[in-house]
Amino acid sequence: MYDLGILLQIVFWGLYAGCIYILLATGLNLIFGVMKIVNFAHGEFLMIGAYITATVFFLTGFNPYAIILLSMLTLIGIGAIVERLCFRPILGTSKLNEIFLSIGLIYIFTNSAAMIWGDEWQSIKSPYQGIAVPVGSLNIPLDYIIIIVVTTVILCGLYLFLKKTKTGREMRATSQNRKGAMLVGINVERMDILSFGIGCALAAAAGTLWVVSGQVFNPYMGSIPAVKAFAIIILGGLGSIPGAIIGGLLYGIAENGAAYFLGGVWKDAISFIILIIVLIIRPTGLFGESGE
Amino acid sequence: MNLTRDEMIRYGTIAAIALAVVAPFLTGNLFLLNLLSLMLIFIIFASAWNLLAYSGQGSLGHAAFFGIGAYASTLIAVNSGISPYISIFLGAAVAAGIGILIGLTCVRLKEWFLAMVTFGFAIIVQTITVSLLTPITGGWDGIASPRLLSPDITGYQLIEYYSILMITIASIVMIWYILKSRIGLAFSAIRENELEARAAGVDPVRYRLLAFALSAYLAGVAGALQIHHIGYITPEIFGVDLSFWPVTYVIFGGVGTLAGPVIGTIILTIIWEGLKMAGFTFSRYIIVGILLILVIIFLPKGLVDLPDKFYKWWTHRKKPEQPQAVLQE
Repeated sequence: MYDLGILLQIVFWGLYAGCIYILLATGLNLIFGVMKIVNFAHGEFLMIGAYITATVFFLTGFNPYAIILLSMLTLIGIGAIVERLCFRPILGTSKLNEIFLSIGLIYIFTNSAAMIWGDEWQSIKSPYQGIAVPVGSLNIPLDYIIIIVVTTVILCGLYLFLKKTKTGREMRATSQNRKGAMLVGINVERMDILSFGIGCALAAAAGTLWVVSGQVFNPYMGSIPAVKAFAIIILGGLGSIPGAIIGGLLYGIAENGAAYFLGGVWKDAISFIILIIVLIIRPTGLFGESGE
Repeated sequence: MNLTRDEMIRYGTIAAIALAVVAPFLTGNLFLLNLLSLMLIFIIFASAWNLLAYSGQGSLGHAAFFGIGAYASTLIAVNSGISPYISIFLGAAVAAGIGILIGLTCVRLKEWFLAMVTFGFAIIVQTITVSLLTPITGGWDGIASPRLLSPDITGYQLIEYYSILMITIASIVMIWYILKSRIGLAFSAIRENELEARAAGVDPVRYRLLAFALSAYLAGVAGALQIHHIGYITPEIFGVDLSFWPVTYVIFGGVGTLAGPVIGTIILTIIWEGLKMAGFTFSRYIIVGILLILVIIFLPKGLVDLPDKFYKWWTHRKKPEQPQAVLQE
């Protein structure tokens, strides 16, 4: 029936698509862990990261992979502003407020981007386009390999930051017990703003990778990846970063498999079908302990 | 002003209905009449969303029910030849049936999970509409939908407006009646504290499903009305935009209140169309987004709370310093 090569190809596409979801989902998870809020507008940060990369690339012609640092730094700033102005005032109020606030942010960010950059679909060409590395029977585009490596490096960096640095330890303490962290003298509001900034920076990295892989983007593209990332952390369990990584890879593969076997229109729907099935069986997610 | 709060609300309601009845003659302009009709439809849609929120469930995919009602009503009207006036309610019943199905997966879920599943559900429905159901729905191109009234009748726009007004009033009265009854009490009990509600003998699953069915039914009515008013339907109806609008309207007006969706829809429509006339395009979304965030932060109960807040501020302003403040220290 289907030969092994195509299946492997699908798995590999899935790995690469999964990288973008993993970065998004890890960022969401980090923010959720520390602040216990969920930002549905997370995909808009991906979109802005994508546009920053494309704009700088058009202006200067730098290697787009180098722009990842710039887009991450910019988004740390934007994220900090959003946290301070929008999310901090509603911390501790009804959980539905976060969802509603995100809708306001989605309106603001997508349409600001549409005003600045126009609302047509765009794409850029990676400098390595057309180069493929033969691995066994497969021809894998070099871009995909770089993307997987970059994602791994970012995630390892995040891991080291959380495990080895003082700030990282403070952040984990805040995520484990906010009141306890306050008692031992951790400035939890600083942790909030920091985790939100880092979460946004991860989304920006995802945006850069999205652009350099040659995928099209427009101001409205953010919401679907964000919601998928959210579905991934539901699958993987809220606050669990390993869960986000496994979930992200599975999602990428499932999606590309569905696009191949059922047709391209099913690409977005399949992830939600998986989500709904999982939630019917386990309302708290695959690895989640308690839903909250 | 010696009116009590209840009296003020009663007179306000009567004035609002009277204004809605005479509005076509005040404007006397087909463009505005069309706008008013669409506004009424969105009042139904926002109220439907609000009914679900009243039971503590926030949906981000209400466009699914809006669209299912619209498609079902169109297909029923086209294939059986019955008047859209009847098919609206049959189509909405289909939406309610599917609402129960999706409700079954959602009843055990918490806020974010529910928002996610409903959001994803709208995307799934859109995908099915353009793939498996293309032979009957026309895929991405959509299909023509019979008009509520034939354009040959003189003054059909006016009759259409009054029909929509009647259905809107009927929907709001129905919601008012539900919220006033034991069902409404059960909804708010579940919203406030599910455990205590269960201890008091309220079955959360049953009432949540009921909320889903009622809300989906009304959203379906709104969707069918809109499509029969416009005369054409495409899968764009399941888009994110249409899922977010009722949420925006209700938050503006005030979540969990009967008047909230009505006031929110009217005021936002005025702002929206005013900005359009002033020549804003993308920036009106930005303005609405900023207003929405400001309302969430500073007026968590919505615009309906504004008179109360103002009244408190006004009376508080006149009072001298409270000596209690010193005692507390």
